[in-house]
Amino acid sequence: MAQNSEALITQLVGGLEPVKPLRFSRGIGYIPLTAAISTALILSLFGLRPDLQAWQVAPIPLIATGLFLGLGTASGATVVVMSRPGVGISHNGWACAAVLAALLPFAGMIVAMSNSNSLLSQDSIAHGLDCFVIGTGGSVLVFGTLVWWLRRGAPTSPDHAGLVAGITAGSFGIFAFGLHCPENDIVHIGVWHSAVVLMVGALGRLIVPPLVRW
Amino acid sequence: MKADEVSLARLMAMSQAGDRQAYATLLDACQRWLRGYYARRIAPSQLDDLVQDTLMALHNKRASWDSTRPFLPWLAAIARYRWVDHLRKLYRAGECELGSDYACHDDEPAISARITLDRLLEVLPDPQARVIELVKIQGLSIAEASTATGQSESLVKVNIHRGLKKLAHMIEKA
Repeated sequence: MAQNSEALITQLVGGLEPVKPLRFSRGIGYIPLTAAISTALILSLFGLRPDLQAWQVAPIPLIATGLFLGLGTASGATVVVMSRPGVGISHNGWACAAVLAALLPFAGMIVAMSNSNSLLSQDSIAHGLDCFVIGTGGSVLVFGTLVWWLRRGAPTSPDHAGLVAGITAGSFGIFAFGLHCPENDIVHIGVWHSAVVLMVGALGRLIVPPLVRW
Repeated sequence: MKADEVSLARLMAMSQAGDRQAYATLLDACQRWLRGYYARRIAPSQLDDLVQDTLMALHNKRASWDSTRPFLPWLAAIARYRWVDHLRKLYRAGECELGSDYACHDDEPAISARITLDRLLEVLPDPQARVIELVKIQGLSIAEASTATGQSESLVKVNIHRGLKKLAHMIEKA
């Protein structure tokens, strides 16, 4: 840089405009809003699960949907916190929710290994791929919103922020599609629904850092 | 003015509202604080550039400070982020130089990187710093480093691992 610090300060002061601080409450408000829009869109396209329509709720999908909602909420709050710099602020609050949600794929894999035909049947794979593709598609709006928010802020750990943003978006995407998916099988939910979270998390880790680096 | 938390936070809140006088005072105080922060972390020749770079980052990202939160941890996080970015650039510049024409390259980034590395290595115990220097910087094999330092090969590996881990932790938490 050619100029000295005093000249730079004069230049920055001359260009000062009022700004609206990024409030945690505003950032956190966008997440349920966009998640609700995604859910409404998916349900209007594919409809609500028959058992939910009849109000005869199956326990496994209920627990899984709740875990994905919890993971999305916890990780979404972490992303908003990460958008504002600060030494000494913990960004690991979402990890507990992630550990709980990780029980789903573990349980799914264990049950699948003890009952090998359920995971690899053609119908199972075709249905699983539907959930995977539509759940991933359902995460796009939340994902875009989080990237937009991170770009407005100043994340000091872009890699971590990208991963957590992806996990948030994937969780809400599969939460939304989980309200439609009629499957009650822990293998299907644990493998295919969890795969959405893992895939969008990996995409976030890959795509987001260059977009939010400053 | 003295860079105390309460005054800086008040000035920053006024700056966010568009008060130029408060902003000039704030940037001047931040500039002095940043010089102190970076003084032991980078080569003196790089200090001005990094301070200015951080002041611009502060300006561009001033909306990311929330007046309900303390100011200095916010500034310190920005300073650390710019510092790590600076180290990354120095590292990349050093990599590029290896592939370019040796006869006409500019030595300054390499010298700065060397000074920065020396300052980082100062915080490590001597056996760890020594083997990192030999293996990771000079390119010796583990066996050669073992002979040169009198440490066993497994101890060389352990010291490199522990030293690098400590450096990464120091940079992350600085």
